[in-house]
Amino acid sequence: MNEKEMLYQKRLERYITAMDCGKPDMVPVAFGVGEWITKYTGTTLQEIYYDLDKSTDVVSEMLPGLDFDIFKGGPALWWPPMFDAMGSKLYKFPGIGVDENSTFQFNEQEYMKAEDYDEFIASPTEWLVNHYLPNISTELENPGSYRSTVALIKGAAAFAMQGGIMAAAWGKWTVENGIVGQGTGFTKAPFDTLGDALRGMKGVLLDLRRRPEKVLAACDAITPHNVNCGLAGPGADTRFPCFAPLHRGAYPFLNPKQWDTFYWPSLKATIEGMWAKGKRMLFYAEGDWTPYLEKILELPDKSIVFQIDTTDAKKAKKILGGRFCLQGGVPTTLLTYGTPEKVKEHIKRTFDELAYDGGFILDTGGVVMGDAKKENAIAMIEAARKYGIY
Amino acid sequence: MSEKEKTLNPDPGVCVPWEVKKAEIGEFPGNEAITKKEWEKLDDFAYNFIWFWAQR
Repeated sequence: MNEKEMLYQKRLERYITAMDCGKPDMVPVAFGVGEWITKYTGTTLQEIYYDLDKSTDVVSEMLPGLDFDIFKGGPALWWPPMFDAMGSKLYKFPGIGVDENSTFQFNEQEYMKAEDYDEFIASPTEWLVNHYLPNISTELENPGSYRSTVALIKGAAAFAMQGGIMAAAWGKWTVENGIVGQGTGFTKAPFDTLGDALRGMKGVLLDLRRRPEKVLAACDAITPHNVNCGLAGPGADTRFPCFAPLHRGAYPFLNPKQWDTFYWPSLKATIEGMWAKGKRMLFYAEGDWTPYLEKILELPDKSIVFQIDTTDAKKAKKILGGRFCLQGGVPTTLLTYGTPEKVKEHIKRTFDELAYDGGFILDTGGVVMGDAKKENAIAMIEAARKYGIY
Repeated sequence: MSEKEKTLNPDPGVCVPWEVKKAEIGEFPGNEAITKKEWEKLDDFAYNFIWFWAQR
């Protein structure tokens, strides 16, 4: 075993021990290279998003010498050429729809109409192919046409190409730097699958009053698919959690009764379905989930890693600590508006309050935006190593 | 509606079940397991591609 392999094993053990609510040799640190990197590399955001080689090169140059454990990925969340090939209406990307240095924007619409519920519930995958893909893709407006068929070929090819390129990049980063990838698999709360891309915020909130039984039936129909998406296929890895960005469950999008009725049951069933197969969820609780911490206790022990964004961290520790690993502790705004000194002070305090008995992973609370400062990101890692030894 | 356009209501991870394809092929002189395994791998890829767009 070479030096990097030994480092990998050490970091892996640190990560898994924390996820199991144990106390490793030091607090594991999660780190990602966000859009902020473009300010320091002389590249535009459009270049970083479109050119996968450039995007992965920027990460490869950044990683050596940084001492952290868990890698969250590079700056480009999506690969726009695949969306362009399909004529996707879902996003405006840097350089096409928005300025070349602006981050992407989601174009939320009711891509699924209220009258589509029954057909969707009867066979979700077929409805997505027959109706949703043509609804969200200008190139697929005439299914079976030359343009439509070519777009599907290009879209699927791009999906495979991106997967291959990124898998090779992750392999290289792991081998050369001894870092551990954060997770495998991607899923969502069924209510978010319905409310984000299908019905949209306005549509799904109206549905709660006008057709609540359809919302519940749709969430039930989505749940086994979201379990499958989280598992990332049969026989896939179960050591690492699947990433699940959670949106409308944050307070106060829904009132507590709506949350109990519409959001929680199918999310809980998704987590339990995955956990039955040994797969944990990175419960990426974007926003404030403080009012729901007691409900989260209904989940099986250790079945999630709870991400603290603007949730009350001390309450999360008091209520969830020991049952579930907590991840976070660094407000994303601190990396933008703070200084290295303030970051270091904050991390020392965070460790005292949240990490003292293990079961904690240091991370930024949410997705770090493009205006974050590199020196603050580096200060976060350095302070974590200085103060994070048990 | 043709036979191929009937609603399949496929399970999670599946677009066109192997059983449906096998029935269309009819007699199977070779090793079915080899063909089934690769069919299901590609079918799973297609499934993930389809659901990717809904899970944004």
